[in-house]
Amino acid sequence: MSSNAAATTRDGAASPEPEPKPEEDREPKPVPTLTVDALTVRFSGLVALDNVSFTVAPGTIHALIGPNGAGKSTCFNVVSGVYRATAGAVRYAGKDLTRLAPHRIARLAVARTFQNIVLTHGTVADNLMLGRHSLTRAGFTSTALRLPQAVREQRRHRERAAEIADFLGLGPAFDKPVGSLAYGDRKRVEMARALCMEPKLLLLDEPVAGMHPTERVAMAETIAKVRDALGISILIVEHDMGLIMRIADSVTVLDFGRLIADGTPERVQRDPAVISAYLGTPAQDEGTQP
Amino acid sequence: MSDTLSPDASPATTAATPPDGSGGASGRRSGTASRAGTAAAGVLLLLALPFYVSSFWLQTGLFAMAAIVGAIGLNLLSGTTGQLSLGHAFFLAVGAYGYVWLAGDPSGTGSAQLYGLGLPPLLAFVLAILLAGAAGGLFSPISGRLRGMYLGIATLALVFLGHHIMLNARDITGGFNGRSVPALEIFGFSFSDTSPDGLAVLGVPFGGLERLWYFGLVLVAVAWLAARNLLRGRPGRALAAVRDSEVAAAVMGVPLSRYRASAFIVSSMYAGAAGALLALVFKRVVPDHFGLLLSIDYLAMIVIGGLGSVGGAAAGAVFVALMPHLLTKYADHLPLLSAPGTTGSGVTPGDAARYLYGAAIVLVLVFAPGGLAGLAQKRPRRTGDGTRRNRRFPFRTRTTSDSNPQGVEGTTPKEHTP
Repeated sequence: MSSNAAATTRDGAASPEPEPKPEEDREPKPVPTLTVDALTVRFSGLVALDNVSFTVAPGTIHALIGPNGAGKSTCFNVVSGVYRATAGAVRYAGKDLTRLAPHRIARLAVARTFQNIVLTHGTVADNLMLGRHSLTRAGFTSTALRLPQAVREQRRHRERAAEIADFLGLGPAFDKPVGSLAYGDRKRVEMARALCMEPKLLLLDEPVAGMHPTERVAMAETIAKVRDALGISILIVEHDMGLIMRIADSVTVLDFGRLIADGTPERVQRDPAVISAYLGTPAQDEGTQP
Repeated sequence: MSDTLSPDASPATTAATPPDGSGGASGRRSGTASRAGTAAAGVLLLLALPFYVSSFWLQTGLFAMAAIVGAIGLNLLSGTTGQLSLGHAFFLAVGAYGYVWLAGDPSGTGSAQLYGLGLPPLLAFVLAILLAGAAGGLFSPISGRLRGMYLGIATLALVFLGHHIMLNARDITGGFNGRSVPALEIFGFSFSDTSPDGLAVLGVPFGGLERLWYFGLVLVAVAWLAARNLLRGRPGRALAAVRDSEVAAAVMGVPLSRYRASAFIVSSMYAGAAGALLALVFKRVVPDHFGLLLSIDYLAMIVIGGLGSVGGAAAGAVFVALMPHLLTKYADHLPLLSAPGTTGSGVTPGDAARYLYGAAIVLVLVFAPGGLAGLAQKRPRRTGDGTRRNRRFPFRTRTTSDSNPQGVEGTTPKEHTP
């Protein structure tokens, strides 16, 4: 049953338009488009985002890049509901995310990771199970009394969490306290926790920051694999240009809160505005590595 | 290790059932077995105690049991959720007076008139717990919004409000002199010295304290198991996430206000159960018992025991609850203490107990931030991201930078949006 569902989505991701198929059980809903529309965020005088608009097409890896302080993380925080927008809208699945509290956005299957690792106490399993929060129902009473449905639910979701941990190579660490893990592993726990939300839109805030080159390559492969296997949209903020150019389908470049370029990696790479934003000089040597 | 990930649109897809979450636990199995053995021996010892010890020890033990129940509840709120409460004594009072009012028969006339519903005592006991929970629920507009220290200040008001009500609502509380507590009765079996009269088990006379002892044990067991289940389940993880990082919790789909308020309600219900048990042991409830010092006693219990751990809370509760009684009993034999009622030069046992656990708190905070529970675990703990600091002092005053994705001070997740 689950392998069947996996196959359909993989086909759906491969073909440009997923044709409606007769499905015996509930078909995974199509991945919605994320539209950031004229988004402006001000922090008492400081303009962090200024009239930024871009679109994340379903099933693509969309990179958000720019020098430090360009407003990338602010953009993430607005999309995930952590910050309020001053003006503009973020449209997703027929809703304006700027009007929703973070936990409501989470229920729309929008998951995110943090630039600096934000994990809770306890084991890897505990953290991953936190990711299942909005997919589970067990309340205080049924959990305290260990009612059968709460026990069953916990067991079922723990299995799925273990599966996701395996996928990210965290299988052996599943029952270990996160505090005992190395940096790269904790970074992957964050990623696994986000995947545990079964997201349709995954926001990755610097997923390879601080990792050594081998880990970076592995993480890049993982991200591409997630997109291919699940067919979900991924919005990624990253400073590692090599990684962005390798895996991103499209790139949006911000500088001082303004959008300065938007397009395919190759086009953005040659954009004079982008080169000057990164190097601080007018573009002269086109085609060189920025 | 599989390297593919299938989409899981319906969380109910997989149907295989390996044992509940015991992956990788085989190495720990022998340790678990020995721990289970110790626990079983402890339970047997507790069950046998009424046959051997005097009523002083039974009464002291029952006070400790009430403290355990209350401390487990406060620990869920403060240790797990990171919400400070100084109002725990208020909810103990609600439980205690609630039981007396619900189970008591109306009596007296004129100014000495006392109201009571005369319900069956067991029902009254359960309703008293719910009443305390309802009182906690009434406070939820505040307990859901305020976090950490600020909630502590707000709950401080409850203690004084409660004291005022206890003194002045004489019809229900009996005023300054309090009110006597009707004995617990379950299906005609009374937990008092009478009815059945002269009950003896194996030649040991079973009076009220002996009978209550077993009721207390059951109550502690239920409170303990319920808290442990909660902490290991979905609500416990959400509460811990609220403590560790509000932003992460919210982004993972945890409604912050609702969980803060729920933790407060659950903690109030535990306090209500503790208060009702306390009333049964005291046989009389008086307003002065439920003051600010009682709230602080409970905070001391969970700090000494180890924040966030059920067993730790219980151990801390036993330590703090037993201390004044032991010091009173042995005042004659201990230096620097004056027996109660005498005008010796020493400190009274009650004060001495507070000095002692004051010192214990300092020692715990400096040398063993995990409390008694942390000492018992002794597992190597490597923590990053300021988690140690959180463990030491979980009450936040505002969102600190470790939960703030961009390091912008003073920004907090929005919570109530239309």
